[in-house]
Amino acid sequence: MDILQTIQEELAELLDIEKEEITPDAYMVRDLDAESIDLLELAVAINASFGIDVNDDEIFLRLLREFLEEAKDAGKDAGDFLEEKYRFLTRERIDDMLNDLQGGPVLKVNDLISYVSWKLENK
Amino acid sequence: MKLNFSGNRVLITGGTCDLAVTLAKLTAETGLYPILTARTEKGLADIDEVMKPFSGKFETALLDFADQSTLVPLFDQIKDDLDYMVDFAHTDYERLVASADPDASYKYFEENLAFRSALISRSARTMLKKKRGRMVYISSSAAISPNPGQGFYASAKLASEALYKNIGLELGSRGITTVSLRPGYINAGRGKDFINKNEKSLFSRIPIKRALGNKEVAETILFFLSDSATGFNAVEITFDGGLSAGK
Repeated sequence: MDILQTIQEELAELLDIEKEEITPDAYMVRDLDAESIDLLELAVAINASFGIDVNDDEIFLRLLREFLEEAKDAGKDAGDFLEEKYRFLTRERIDDMLNDLQGGPVLKVNDLISYVSWKLENK
Repeated sequence: MKLNFSGNRVLITGGTCDLAVTLAKLTAETGLYPILTARTEKGLADIDEVMKPFSGKFETALLDFADQSTLVPLFDQIKDDLDYMVDFAHTDYERLVASADPDASYKYFEENLAFRSALISRSARTMLKKKRGRMVYISSSAAISPNPGQGFYASAKLASEALYKNIGLELGSRGITTVSLRPGYINAGRGKDFINKNEKSLFSRIPIKRALGNKEVAETILFFLSDSATGFNAVEITFDGGLSAGK
């Protein structure tokens, strides 16, 4: 099953937008205006489509800013800390996120794809 | 009036209590499919015994609020297919608040509140797949008017009501609605002995001069499950014969 295509189909229906707008680089909140209830429905749809348990906090990077505070308090490198917490993301992606925090919520469609791939590999 | 139901499968937690069994029989007679939970194998066997006339029209499932690991197998068993939930399950811990054992209090809230929030979340996610669902929480009039010694029971009930209220608020637009019912004195289960001992003084305070009947309450719950009642959402409703209305 193509992960991007499945997520595109689910999101197009949930957000009532064209599939073409849902590119891997699109920001879920900044570009697609996804709200928390949309993300909840998406998590349920991903669970049903791929047969994986979805942890909403994890897949939607909900604790990202708390983790950054935690790393700071512990005197740890933010990138290293996030790499440990988000094992489905590459170091490159984590560095991109750290440089992009000022712009708002950093979650992208591609992060969801990474999560699903990682869960399927570790099933 | 004929009640209509869009769904079919009803999860009934706390399935060993008299009221839950009465409701299960009523739902089965109505054509719904009740799934009754119990905390122990003995509880499941007891349900099987009293539900014998409805063989093939119901099922039982283990769900122990003190054991988190029983939640996943429950949803595996019911194949993530659920239209309704009626939540009766609740343990009691009758103590004056100031004399409660701290460990027992933690455990009490873990079972009756933390576990319940996990159950509600899982049920809601299951219902979201169908974009339809109805939850009825069986609270108690003690949630707002507890007697001395009922502090833990009342606070867990009140907090659970808040969880159900929020599900109705958050997911009403996705077809999932909730209602919490606060029955007063019911002539069944653990209330029966208390009512028998205090009948005269108790009934003198209740405007309808009697306790609620088991079947009467089950029929009310059935109505609140029906399509006609979904307008009652994210709300708590007291039915205590008028007891709490006056001084």
